[in-house]
Amino acid sequence: MTDNDQLSGLRTEIRDWLAHNLPADWRDRQGGDNTAGFLAMQREWFTKLVEGGYATPHWPKEWPGGGRSLAEQIVMFEELARGGAPRMSLFFVSLYHAAMTLIECGTDAQRARHLPAILKGEVWCQGFSEPGAGSDLAALRTRAERRGDRYIVSGQKIWSTLGHFADQCLLLVRTDSSGAKQAGITFLLMDMKSKGIDVRPIRQITGDEEFAEIFLDEVEIPVENLVGQENEGWKVAQVTLSSERGLTLVELTERMALSLWRLVDAATQGTGDTGMLDRSVARSLVDISARIEAMRAMLATLMANRMAGREAVGDASILKLAYSRLSRDFTALGLRLQSFAAMRDTRYVLGAGYETGNWMFDFLNSYQYNIAGGSNEIQRNIVSERVLQMPREKLG
Amino acid sequence: MTATIEDARIDPEEIRDSAQRLLADMVDRRAGWEARPDGAAALDQAMRELGWYQLIAAEAEGGLGQRFDVLAPIYEELGRSLAPVWLSGTMATIDALYATVSAAAEQLVAAVLENGWRMAVVTLAPGQSLAAASAPMVGGAPDATHFLVIGDGEAPPLLVAADAPGVSVTEVTSWDLGRSYGAVEFSDVRNVLFRLEGDDVLPVVRAHSELALACDSIGGASQCLSETVDYMLGRQQFGRPIASFQALKHRAADHKVAIELARSLVSHASRQFAVRGDGWAVLSAQARILACEAYAAMAEDCVQLFGGVGFTWEYDAHLFLKRALVNQIIGGSPDDLRDRIVGDVCQRAQTARL
Ligand SMILES: Cc1cc2nc3c(=O)[nH]c(=O)nc-3n(C[C@H](O)[C@H](O)[C@H](O)COP(=O)(O)OP(=O)(O)OC[C@H]3O[C@@H](n4cnc5c(N)ncnc54)[C@H](O)[C@@H]3O)c2cc1C
Repeated sequence: MTDNDQLSGLRTEIRDWLAHNLPADWRDRQGGDNTAGFLAMQREWFTKLVEGGYATPHWPKEWPGGGRSLAEQIVMFEELARGGAPRMSLFFVSLYHAAMTLIECGTDAQRARHLPAILKGEVWCQGFSEPGAGSDLAALRTRAERRGDRYIVSGQKIWSTLGHFADQCLLLVRTDSSGAKQAGITFLLMDMKSKGIDVRPIRQITGDEEFAEIFLDEVEIPVENLVGQENEGWKVAQVTLSSERGLTLVELTERMALSLWRLVDAATQGTGDTGMLDRSVARSLVDISARIEAMRAMLATLMANRMAGREAVGDASILKLAYSRLSRDFTALGLRLQSFAAMRDTRYVLGAGYETGNWMFDFLNSYQYNIAGGSNEIQRNIVSERVLQMPREKLG
Repeated sequence: MTATIEDARIDPEEIRDSAQRLLADMVDRRAGWEARPDGAAALDQAMRELGWYQLIAAEAEGGLGQRFDVLAPIYEELGRSLAPVWLSGTMATIDALYATVSAAAEQLVAAVLENGWRMAVVTLAPGQSLAAASAPMVGGAPDATHFLVIGDGEAPPLLVAADAPGVSVTEVTSWDLGRSYGAVEFSDVRNVLFRLEGDDVLPVVRAHSELALACDSIGGASQCLSETVDYMLGRQQFGRPIASFQALKHRAADHKVAIELARSLVSHASRQFAVRGDGWAVLSAQARILACEAYAAMAEDCVQLFGGVGFTWEYDAHLFLKRALVNQIIGGSPDDLRDRIVGDVCQRAQTARL
């Protein structure tokens, strides 16, 4: 995409701002097996972004930092990635999923309560999935019963990203089991300090504890925390799930493109001497670079369509599937090139994208794009059935 | 004469049986992952008592006079159980000692058996020697009493004691927490216990090591497939077992085909190697390439097919994945193997031309 003057002005502005505000040592401070450092660095960086007006470009313009066009939002993600800034992992659900759900579907009181709190660092998690309801999310069984002005909620949520650090939770519950499974779902806001909540972090394949299980035993949630209508939570959940509007992929792809040098580094054993490159490695590098450029180009086109209100059915699935496969192959190539060093060095940097320097870590971590938020298989179902109009497999 | 030799042959399937029983009993495959004692020493002791280390040594040295075909099922079962021990370093060394042209080698075999020496094979990078070398990741190095040092050139493999001056071993924490690894460094090492002279020595060490990894991978891949299928049968989404989705069934079927194809080559290569039959050196490298590839592909897909639980530490999908990825590169990457055998492959093709 070629920038107009205003967009290139924004780029320059962010570069200058980063030069003055990005802590040079953030990797050391939030890296390794160091949860306290991660939390502190994320909070510090988030506060700076909010002050700079770069945390909430997607919010409406009456909010600080809000009212930016999608084109400007893309520029911001690109520049933050190019400047080597940390990802906003701890606040991502707050800024996107929670805020956009409240802005589109919440009440004035809910917005007044939570949006300013989010700007001050309120951490949110998403409590949708359950042990028995993953790909088949609508099969969720966590029960909520209305008693007077409260819902009494019991059940279990799982895989909530950063749930063990969250202050608030976007919660999907079942309020009616009589009809179609999508029909009896209700969307609630849950204070994570409520009585009856037990949060247990789950260790991931990387050794990191980044998501959590949430056990709910007769948790009381005030009725004013209902978002949308009772039994109409499924619609609200769709808003939550599409709240980041492809921006995550813009950011991740940009970060991947900017990490391509790490593959070259691994391929040349740190010498940078590309004249000595093994032929088959050289060819793999070319293929990966082509796919990254293609991913960027496809994102640019589809984001432009989105801005023009011309989004087609299945676009998001095509993007996600292309990216998730690329993330696997990109990191697998790093693994092949880094060889033993990737197998032994387990140092990692949380929230660094493809910059941990350990390709095994990045490779393992890349599964998250292939599983979470609608797995590759579910995206393939969408592309084949909704885009290509093939008949549906019979589902229960 | 022939009849008596054949009578003395142990049936590989009997060995497999006893290996399965022993390993079911003694292997806690999550031990290393949960920081529990891995039981490797006790298992090694049991393996010694069962006579596994004696299997391919000659009777004169207190061995059982068997061939590689009885080791193959053991390696496979070790892989299937995700065992914490490295058997192949010692066995490849015994195999290599018999390939030398020196009588002193037999005394060494006897010493290995008597003293319970444990060997690890160290592959030097081009240009490295005992004067200066570092091998970043050697399987079994922390427990090895000796190293069999091989290079890529003409120099004969060397046997060096782990406590010889100039040898240092540092335990390595790898992603595969189920087995021990070490970084081995040589600096001006002069005490060589034995030089293994003979044309076949290096190829034998390699073939034995490649086939051990190939068998380990076949065992691991089969187990991984069977646990994946079990999970798919039990996991319900959309009101039915995910095993009933054709897209997933076909992937499992593809893995089955890849594993069986690799298994066939591994068995054939093992038999050829056992009798030093036609093509054993090339076949063993080819077998490892296919077996490790099938294992890695299976384990990579296992994580995906398990979904969220596949992304956890608690489920076992990653145990297979991490071991499969190490199996693929330890002692030589697939590209190293390809580069090593391409000449022979082409030559054989040209000779076999119609
Ligand atoms: C890193 C990570 C972070 C996450 N964060 C959150 C979070 O913050 N909040 C939250 O609520 N959830 C979160 N999730 C949960 C995630 O959305 C689910 O894991 C995902 O939807 C898959 O569900 P499942 O794990 O139950 O797998 P299953 O649905 O059991 O899937 C198992 C396998 O079957 C396949 N499969 C299922 N149905 C079909 C079908 N119809 N056709 C073909 N194949 C099929 C799947 O693709 C997969 O390969 C997260 C997951 C991960 C891995």
